[in-house]
Amino acid sequence: MLKETIDILTSYPISQKRCIMGNIAIARGAIEAGVNGVFSYPGTPSTEISEVFNYVDSFLSNPDYRQIYPVQANTKIYFEYSINEKIALEKAIAYSIGNRSSMCVMKNVGMNVASDALMSITYQTISAPLVIVVCDDPGCHSSSNEQDSRYWGAMANVPLLNPSNPNEAKEFTVLAFRLSGKLKLPVIIRTTTRVSHSRGIVNFGVINADDRIAGFERIPEHINIPARTAAAHSRLLEKLNDPEISAMQRESCKIISGNENTRYGIITSGVASEYVCEVLHDNKINEQVYVLNIGLVNPFPEKVVADFLKNNLQKILIVEELEPITENAIRVIAQKECINTEILGKGFSGLTVAGEFNIDLIKQTLFEFLDLQIGKVQKQPLENVKEFTELLPPRPPVLCAGCPHRSTFYLLKLVIPREESELILCGDIGCFGLGALPPLKMIDTINHMGMSISMAQGLSEALTRYENSKIIDVDQDNNQHCNSPKPLKTVALVGDGTFFHSGLASLVNAVYTRANILVVIFDNRTIAMTGRQSHPGASQNLPKYNQIEIAPLLRGLGIEVVEEFDPFNLRDGFAKLNKAMQHRGISVVIAKAPCVFLPEFIDLHPVKKKIIVEESLCNTCANHDDEAIVCSRCYSSRSNLSRARAKLFAEVSIPGELQLCPANICNHGFFNSILEGDYKSAVEIVRDKMLFSKTCGDICHRSCELMKIETDEKWNEEISYISTGNVPIKALKKFVSSFDNNYLDFSAPISRAKNAEKKNKKIAVIGAGPSGLSAAYDLVQNGYEVEIFEKQNKPGGMVAFGIPWFRMDKSGFEYEAMQLEKMGVQFHFNSVLGTDYSLTELSESFDAIILAIGMWHSKKLDLIEMSVPESKRSDALTFLKKFNSGISEITAEITFVVIGGGNSALDTARAARILNPKNRVIITCIEKENDMPAFAEEISNAKAEGIEIIPDSYVSNCSCEDRINIVLNSFSNKEFLCELKCDFILTAIGQSSDSDALIEINRNKFDSSGRILSHENNPIAKNIFIAGDIHSGNSMSVIGAIASGKKAAVDVRKLLENYGFNYEGEKALKELNNLKGKLLDYTPVLNSGNIEGLELKTIRDEVERFNLYQSCMKCNHCIDNFGCPAMIKVNGKVRIDDDRCTLCGLCIDVCPNDAIHWVSDPVLVNQSVPL
Amino acid sequence: MKTNVKILIAGVGGQGIVYLTNLIAEAAVISGIPVCVSEIHGLSQRGGTVTAGIGLGEFNTGFTGKANVDFLIGLEPLETQRCTNFIHRQSVVIFGNNKILPHSVNAGQVQYPDTNSFTDYLNGQCKKVVYVDEFPAGINTIHHNVFFVGIASGINEFPLSVQSIEEAISRTVPEIQIRQTLNAFRMGYEYLINPQTV
Repeated sequence: MLKETIDILTSYPISQKRCIMGNIAIARGAIEAGVNGVFSYPGTPSTEISEVFNYVDSFLSNPDYRQIYPVQANTKIYFEYSINEKIALEKAIAYSIGNRSSMCVMKNVGMNVASDALMSITYQTISAPLVIVVCDDPGCHSSSNEQDSRYWGAMANVPLLNPSNPNEAKEFTVLAFRLSGKLKLPVIIRTTTRVSHSRGIVNFGVINADDRIAGFERIPEHINIPARTAAAHSRLLEKLNDPEISAMQRESCKIISGNENTRYGIITSGVASEYVCEVLHDNKINEQVYVLNIGLVNPFPEKVVADFLKNNLQKILIVEELEPITENAIRVIAQKECINTEILGKGFSGLTVAGEFNIDLIKQTLFEFLDLQIGKVQKQPLENVKEFTELLPPRPPVLCAGCPHRSTFYLLKLVIPREESELILCGDIGCFGLGALPPLKMIDTINHMGMSISMAQGLSEALTRYENSKIIDVDQDNNQHCNSPKPLKTVALVGDGTFFHSGLASLVNAVYTRANILVVIFDNRTIAMTGRQSHPGASQNLPKYNQIEIAPLLRGLGIEVVEEFDPFNLRDGFAKLNKAMQHRGISVVIAKAPCVFLPEFIDLHPVKKKIIVEESLCNTCANHDDEAIVCSRCYSSRSNLSRARAKLFAEVSIPGELQLCPANICNHGFFNSILEGDYKSAVEIVRDKMLFSKTCGDICHRSCELMKIETDEKWNEEISYISTGNVPIKALKKFVSSFDNNYLDFSAPISRAKNAEKKNKKIAVIGAGPSGLSAAYDLVQNGYEVEIFEKQNKPGGMVAFGIPWFRMDKSGFEYEAMQLEKMGVQFHFNSVLGTDYSLTELSESFDAIILAIGMWHSKKLDLIEMSVPESKRSDALTFLKKFNSGISEITAEITFVVIGGGNSALDTARAARILNPKNRVIITCIEKENDMPAFAEEISNAKAEGIEIIPDSYVSNCSCEDRINIVLNSFSNKEFLCELKCDFILTAIGQSSDSDALIEINRNKFDSSGRILSHENNPIAKNIFIAGDIHSGNSMSVIGAIASGKKAAVDVRKLLENYGFNYEGEKALKELNNLKGKLLDYTPVLNSGNIEGLELKTIRDEVERFNLYQSCMKCNHCIDNFGCPAMIKVNGKVRIDDDRCTLCGLCIDVCPNDAIHWVSDPVLVNQSVPL
Repeated sequence: MKTNVKILIAGVGGQGIVYLTNLIAEAAVISGIPVCVSEIHGLSQRGGTVTAGIGLGEFNTGFTGKANVDFLIGLEPLETQRCTNFIHRQSVVIFGNNKILPHSVNAGQVQYPDTNSFTDYLNGQCKKVVYVDEFPAGINTIHHNVFFVGIASGINEFPLSVQSIEEAISRTVPEIQIRQTLNAFRMGYEYLINPQTV
């Protein structure tokens, strides 16, 4: 642009030909006519005209240029970007009244804003020439409508010229100045996009210096009061009869093809004339048609047209884009002149009112008009073009990579989850309007310049009144309309340029009328869409402009909440947007960061670095390698938004690998489903791996919650994290299982089992405890036929018989276990190994056996066995089994001593207390209290129930007469501790296996506690696998049993179908087994205490404290919710396109998987700047 | 040398399409060939589809009709394919393997069309198809535009001489970028004339 500007100035004084754009030609025309002042508001397709003068301005103020071009420096053209078109035209009028020639430049819709000034000044007078340039946009390439500005000529009674190519644009501009000076009336030059943005050869003429002397003439015409206006109207009409007009009509309306002896005539105007000429010329029929081009549209050249019509033409076609303005005028002339020649126009062939013309349309129309057949053409189109051009992906414009608007929209998405809120987002004109398109889609309305703030006010009023006070209640008290506690608020989105253009007045109205709206100002420090012009809020350091800061201006208006933030700081932006959202009344948030094309943008962002995506963390499943393993996590962009929100705002950030489940449940997916409020998916994610969501919610050892994490270092400069612990998976499992609708529906696993590809292999599972049931669950879903053999009359094993009812919901367990029947598993109850069948028999009739019979024999203390009669003692398991079955004989008030410090001991003690609340119960165990293997909560529950615990003690002596006498010594120093009297002794010092049932197994395969030794993956006999507590090395826990059963199922699959993956929960299972007695070392992290009975809202707040993140296959977050054009997806992985990346670094904060980061790249420094 | 030639440049906003039209127009003025150009500015520049037409010779507009473009210079393969309507059996098509994926492709809603089958299709029907599968080392993405013009300038039917374009480059590019831009143009010129050197 600078080059073209210098060019049009330095071409003085020699006449010469240049190839320039139509808009530049208009600027040259104005300079040749000696324009003194140019006033404008930028708007495509008019902008380049103003830009020339913007550069002329800086050119003239540069002393170097003044020295090189002294003549041009003397022209002293004043230029300004006014805040809107009305102000621009008003100042141009005033400039003219001050006797300096002026020009006012705008796009089509700009004239609507300026029309008040236009419609009045015509009744008055100007002094020096005033030319208004209005650029229309047929086809709406970059405008909100395709209005035909030629109407303004007739409407305001001012001359209007309509050039059809760049050279004509320049010529007409010179003519316009001449005519305006003569008539003392503004003259309009109207162009269209295809004239303004076409380049063509333009003949530069001589630049005339304007020798007018500035001054103000005190005359009555400058005062517009009703008494004078009626006469003024007649005076205006009189001006249009000036002989100069007739001269102009002849000068601007020309025959451009053919001669009067042809049969056909065409009258055309604007760029359409070029298409007509080209088609005629291209088809060598230019001599056959007589063509008149209309330059001056108002006052309409009646004489010229009448003469044309009077030729002996057979028919006449009128070709003009948009409205039939010349056509209607021509028909009136024909009627006045009694001319009967057929006149065709709009509606004929391809000639429409709407849309832009093109060569093909004109060609078709002309051939039809001339009754010609489109014969065999020289240039043959390709075959099957349709096949290659149909269904191509469209490419709508997108916000640039690094655009601060994208970041603001992203923040809006985080603050205002669209599905949950009743918010309406009212957008405006500007680059940021692209936020209405996918993937952002954060705008509900866009109207004309500056309407957003009025739209928000009006909608807010309408909706509030329509819904009565109901919606207002929704804000504050109940949240039945949405899951989030966001108030209903209407949001206006407006750009910085538009805000000053016309938004400010509307904002004043909003303050005045106490509107309840949020206004977000997208302040990218420039009017970006038209090429980065300055505006009052961003004067771009130009000394002639004064910069107005928006925030103090708004505070001055009395707006209470005015927040300013940098959109590249997501945390700060979120906090401020959120605050503004919550405010009742009017609040304004200014998102302030430079457009990527401004030099300030480059200054903000680092060099010598580039951004990469770690492929191993992008769209991979961190939970399992076998992609065939079912995953019920629902993909949705919303779910990924909640992950992204967690990344930014959670107090605790935990990588998924620190919270692994031995049963391989995807804790990450489970947790994030809860985070997004999808509790059904959360339950299903548990059931992808096992049956027992409710049971684990009650009694899981939650090894996944054990590990503590450190404060997240990355963000510590802004936010210090509270390292309180891990995500409370167990409590959440219980929570999600508490919704009956979700919990009772097992249809997904049942249908997986029914639809599995049948393997035609039979598996026998011995023992219906958690481990055997879990093995069966996995195998039946993989197409195996499974039969379960159980000694008892119902499933459950230790869970059903060993754990007392007050620890868990037994009915839940039974319901979960019996789903296997529906999945096709066959149960054989009351079937005893070693009595009813043998391992050898089974191993012959089944393809594989999983032995999971548990540890049902209690260990015994010889001292007790010998000194206490059988009626006054019991082992814990026998006691609990009776207790659970409700057949315990002991009812009288007595004293119990329980020996042992594990969960069984605690359960037994609590059960004894429940038998009769007056019972005294004392626990003695060898461990110190902090080392007791029982759960901490079990211990504290027991204490709360009045159970006495004597830690670090053992029974050193025991005798029994009427009552039992016990002597306790200290375990650590063996000294006497105390003597007790009791009535019943319960021993809970561990279990062993049932050696009778396992008679077929070689004794050397057992360890000291009677558990079976087995190498990893190896069956103990050719097709017999072991699982659960019976497996030496497994810790005695329900989750360990489940994991062990799942692992056995994998081992079976390896044997029978050469399954190629190891058990995916192996790592966590090993950790669990290593922990053994250390499982007590944690404190519950849920602030709100018991999760049961909490409001959903509280759960949401609670879980939002955490971010449990890991890479996930079901992530497309950056593409779906952010959509930076520098992020591309190749082979399922996101990649950064270095050519497009602007190093804003925002994607690093956006990625919920933490897969994106900076790397050093010194090569980038040498790369040149784009042209 | 053919006098009347229509050129269509297709690409994505931001690829330097307006610059390229400017360059060709300048070269035409230098060569004394009448020229007119039709281009679109504004919103479409923001990463959207952009086309610009140039008429070299006796034309009224740079705008072009169907099957009427003699040279199609595609700065991006999908946008090249979108313009198949405009070329004819005698056309020359120059484009390369420099895909810019639209959002709908990244989002997995649609497939990017297969460039190989499109190239095969063109090869069977057009007079000449130059498909740059791999850009020579040293060509920056921002110089793809002049590189393609370099290729065009090596083709007989192209009405502008190498000298006029080089002169136009030195007139239209800021001083510090002239050397690199000329280099990219030269490499384009060599690409067909002497493919083994690049």
